[in-house]
Amino acid sequence: MTDDVQAPPAPDSKLRHLAGDDVGIVRPRDFTHAGPFVFKSGQVIQGFTLRYETYGSLNATRDNAVLICHALSGDHHCAGWHSENDAKPGWWNNLIGPGKAVDTRRFFVVCANVLGGCQGSTGPSSIDPSTGRPYGLSFPFVTIRDMVNAQKLLLDHLGVAELHAAVGGSMGGMTAMLFAIEHPQFTRRQIVMASAANESAQAIAFNEVGRQAIMQDPAWNGGDYPKDGGPRVGLGIARMMAHITYLSDAGMDRKFGRRKRESAGGEAYTFDAQFEVESYLRHQGQSFINRFDANTYLYITRAIDQFDPARAYGSLERAFAPVCAESLVVGFTSDWLFPPEQNRAIALALLRAGKRASYAELATDLGHDSFLLESDALYSLVRGFLERDETYVFDFAI
Amino acid sequence: MSTRVEKRTVDMQVIGEWVEPHSRVLDLGCGRGELMGYLAQEKQVSAIGVDLDFERISACVRSGQSAYQGDMTAFMGAFPDGHFDRVICSRTAHELNDPAGVILGALRVGSALTVGFVNHGFWKNRLGALLRGRKVQNAVYTTRWHESRPTNPLSIADFEDFCREKSIRIARRVHLLGDWRTPCPFLPNLLAGYALYDLARE
Repeated sequence: MTDDVQAPPAPDSKLRHLAGDDVGIVRPRDFTHAGPFVFKSGQVIQGFTLRYETYGSLNATRDNAVLICHALSGDHHCAGWHSENDAKPGWWNNLIGPGKAVDTRRFFVVCANVLGGCQGSTGPSSIDPSTGRPYGLSFPFVTIRDMVNAQKLLLDHLGVAELHAAVGGSMGGMTAMLFAIEHPQFTRRQIVMASAANESAQAIAFNEVGRQAIMQDPAWNGGDYPKDGGPRVGLGIARMMAHITYLSDAGMDRKFGRRKRESAGGEAYTFDAQFEVESYLRHQGQSFINRFDANTYLYITRAIDQFDPARAYGSLERAFAPVCAESLVVGFTSDWLFPPEQNRAIALALLRAGKRASYAELATDLGHDSFLLESDALYSLVRGFLERDETYVFDFAI
Repeated sequence: MSTRVEKRTVDMQVIGEWVEPHSRVLDLGCGRGELMGYLAQEKQVSAIGVDLDFERISACVRSGQSAYQGDMTAFMGAFPDGHFDRVICSRTAHELNDPAGVILGALRVGSALTVGFVNHGFWKNRLGALLRGRKVQNAVYTTRWHESRPTNPLSIADFEDFCREKSIRIARRVHLLGDWRTPCPFLPNLLAGYALYDLARE
């Protein structure tokens, strides 16, 4: 997902992080699982760390936790600010906070960087204790199920008895879905946005181009590169290309059109960035290589490609058979990476399996990234689903 | 208490009587989920509604109902025969793009089908059109032509013809007078304001 869908933070005040509906300054924490962890592939690591954040507090019955599941390039920092000088809040700050759609006065919100990630959780860039060097490609192949199982250990550690909801967009939606499948008694609700029960050939193809850009950069060196080094060119190109898939034609036209950079001058006969869209993508690529690890990009895109519960369980209906959660699936009209049709398919399979599921579709021009949209309609839907009383009583006495 | 609200609940009560407790119900054109809420409360059904509008789906979700935003024909196409115990098509028949396709589709995915509609053969509707020479406007159809969605008005006679032609079995029928409350004893196409049909495959 991109990291600029939200409008820039409001008035440049040092106190903006103390705004009434913000969670304020937050601090990431680390959870370390000391025992061996067996991946779906059968490979084993001797313990792992997940970096996570929590907002709000766990109630006495320990059942008000909402797990936020991040997408490919996201992380544990989904709301609030790390310091007064932060340029941006967490990636879903518009949705999560006191009084917001995911209300931290009511829910204990948990978000962890996934296993295999590079923002503090154990992944290919972490040091392998047995060699003292980064794992690189010796890190086990990661699947969405491994991410789910690792996060379940974190939730157990935090004392969460059951999840009020698992919520995620894109890969986060896959994670939420698998929580509902693998831990059915534990997961009471799921919200899946801009996601798919398996990727289309087109989406796999884009991931593959990104991986090739990384792996064909000589600096990748078979995944063996020093920290802060590696295939910066390849990773930057992978990000530029992927970024396009998160937007839409109409959205890009609205945002950039054919506008040229002011500094481009009148010189048309160069390959310097002339159009705003070019400099925007270059900037996206550059900022990404400073915060993301190339091997993690390979591992996580592969995990997304492999996600296919229909294949794993025989059919999607069979995969959903154990689900106890009530489900809300949300598609976005301009999302061509995980289009509405794929989101509908999730809801329909849940319904065929006899589960309670709803599907809603928002008309936007923001493409795949629409799930990060600032939209009162989306907030009200999410809040309504999370907060509705299960024993809602209609008053028909008239 | 407005006439509209009263008429809505009368409709719900008759529809509710034909719904088996704890059954699986599909509500085509579910609106904001009032009927599903009523059936969930009175009959403990597990219901799913279909509608085209985001705000209506959102209202269903907020009130605890399950709802699907999309085309009802495509929705039904995703389900095997007899998946639902009953399909309900309440006051949507006149707005369907392909009424025969929807009704036959509903009889495929549902073991039973309730269709409820305003009878445009009702004498007041006939007279209104005749005397005013204008689109029918009444307590149910309050808007003028240019404020209305495209509609395809039908009468009880039209509907009976259709069922005969398609060999649809009419298990029960309820015709109500203009107050939508009192049973209509005779000449329903002229005297009934509202009709409800309980249908099944032949």
